[in-house]
Amino acid sequence: MKTLLTAAAMALGAASVAQAADEVKLQLKWVTQAQFAGYYVALDQGFYEAEDLDVTILPGGPDIAPTQVIAGGGADVTVEWMPAALAAREKGLPLVNIAQPYKSSGMMLTCWKDTGIAAPVDLANRTLGVWFFGNEFPFMSWMSQLGISTEGKGEKGVEVLKQGFNVDPLLQRQADCISTMTYNEYWQVIDAGVAPDELITFKYEDQGVATLEDGLYVLEENLNDPAFVDKMQRFVRASMKGWKWAEENPDDAAEIVLDNDASGAQTEEHQKRMMSEVAKLTAGSNGALSEADYQRTVKTLLDGGSSPVITKEPEGAWTHVITDAALN
Amino acid sequence: MMMVSMALLVWCGGWWLNGRLANSPASNTSAVKLLVPAIFGVTLLIVWELLVRGLEVSLVILPAPSVIAARFATSLPILWQDFQQTILKGALSGYIIGCGAALLMAIAVDRSDFLRRGLLPVGNFVAALPIVGTAPILVMWFGFDWQSKAAVVVVMVFFPVLVNTVAGLRETSAMQRDLMQTYAASYWQSFFKLRLPAALPFVFNGLKISTTLALVGAIVAEFFGSPTVGMGFRISTSVGQLALDMVWAEILVAALAGSAFYGMMALIEKTLTFWHPSQRG
Repeated sequence: MKTLLTAAAMALGAASVAQAADEVKLQLKWVTQAQFAGYYVALDQGFYEAEDLDVTILPGGPDIAPTQVIAGGGADVTVEWMPAALAAREKGLPLVNIAQPYKSSGMMLTCWKDTGIAAPVDLANRTLGVWFFGNEFPFMSWMSQLGISTEGKGEKGVEVLKQGFNVDPLLQRQADCISTMTYNEYWQVIDAGVAPDELITFKYEDQGVATLEDGLYVLEENLNDPAFVDKMQRFVRASMKGWKWAEENPDDAAEIVLDNDASGAQTEEHQKRMMSEVAKLTAGSNGALSEADYQRTVKTLLDGGSSPVITKEPEGAWTHVITDAALN
Repeated sequence: MMMVSMALLVWCGGWWLNGRLANSPASNTSAVKLLVPAIFGVTLLIVWELLVRGLEVSLVILPAPSVIAARFATSLPILWQDFQQTILKGALSGYIIGCGAALLMAIAVDRSDFLRRGLLPVGNFVAALPIVGTAPILVMWFGFDWQSKAAVVVVMVFFPVLVNTVAGLRETSAMQRDLMQTYAASYWQSFFKLRLPAALPFVFNGLKISTTLALVGAIVAEFFGSPTVGMGFRISTSVGQLALDMVWAEILVAALAGSAFYGMMALIEKTLTFWHPSQRG
């Protein structure tokens, strides 16, 4: 009896310790895949536990807008692209960037070489597939820099299609070019039996219109709460540890992602390749947002052509408070 | 808190007013019959406005009706463009093609036992296909423009109209058909004079169901690829930009268009089936 009681007391004690860990809900921008390896690694390797955090990772998907989830109180922190986050900020949802694990943008335009496209100026008078949902703004800005209208085909115009999240429009030749990510859709084209030298790609990074992707965003009002700030500092520290571990061990990180994929939709080969491409984008970031990159993103968005995503310079859209404390 | 209590007050006031009107001696006049639902609708809008403002609900979750109305008024050119693309080009052409084909097919099914036994079960199967599965395929086949939306609409409206029309054409009794035969009426004579009129209530049932299906089909199909115009395109991109007032403005357009479309069909039904018991009185 006595041992039973002791065991019960110990179990209770253990339970209360487990409860003491601070809960953090992280909303991802997209489905479980190596794009978010750092967070899954931190969870799997116990980096979050070491910081006394109880992290729940919520996968996204085509029908989930992370900004809406966080606005509705469904998450504490969300992974989002800066154009969407700044647009939300201007619409009255005060999101603040607290960390930027991705240094470079993975977005690019992938075209058939045999259409005669060799340089960005050749894009005029073509049909291009573009992702919307907030991802169209770097494209609009690029076109307005090139002096190409997006209102329709012509000497100085392109036909823009709203592309779904697959590569069929290119394979079916319904579009001359489509949007792809270096770590995902580009490889879907290759896997469909297209040789890399049949394609020509334009990275947004090289065209000077790259916008920051996959930053961590929280609601501004929460940053007034010291307990929340402390929690986020520990969260960012552990997450960055996860990212650096993932960069060094891409294959193991891909395995961890696969273990966490409840949908079972991802394949090992695809995830390992994705992880090695993602590692190129996160390399060079210690988690702190670079002010120059931020300024470039804002400038790109402000030049967005006929329908700019943001109409005025945002204020207070980022903070170093979290990363300064987390990384020292 | 002020606005929340005011919302409660407005709700009770509207309730009381409607109660008084419905129980008054004038309750059967057409003015009161119009007034009661109007008061209910206006009360709902005011309560919505007051609650959203009083509880400071974020614009991102639910915009106030006044914000939606303002957005609606300032975006008329865009809304008109989207309306043309989605409703007039996509939904309406798909509706006409789909319903027309279904009516012709129903006559063929009615004449041929082989088709009735063979096609209708397949029809029910196709009608159960989810639109999210077929829409991307149809976009692949018919391109990104309105043609693929019309194709989705055709698939969606074809079978409700077909099944209803086939059922309707079997509505006449053997006695009635025998009578036509004693008059030496040909198939087409008895079809146009007896069986088609008898089938009309069923046909219109299918046509009315299809009006809303057509709108839903055309809008949802645009989620899977579209040119940069159209109601589905606008809704999906506006959600991404958190321009929820724009989303609601498009929803308002869709609701108005859907009601008008349905009302038009109901009106045609009323004039064509004046003899039917459901239309009397």
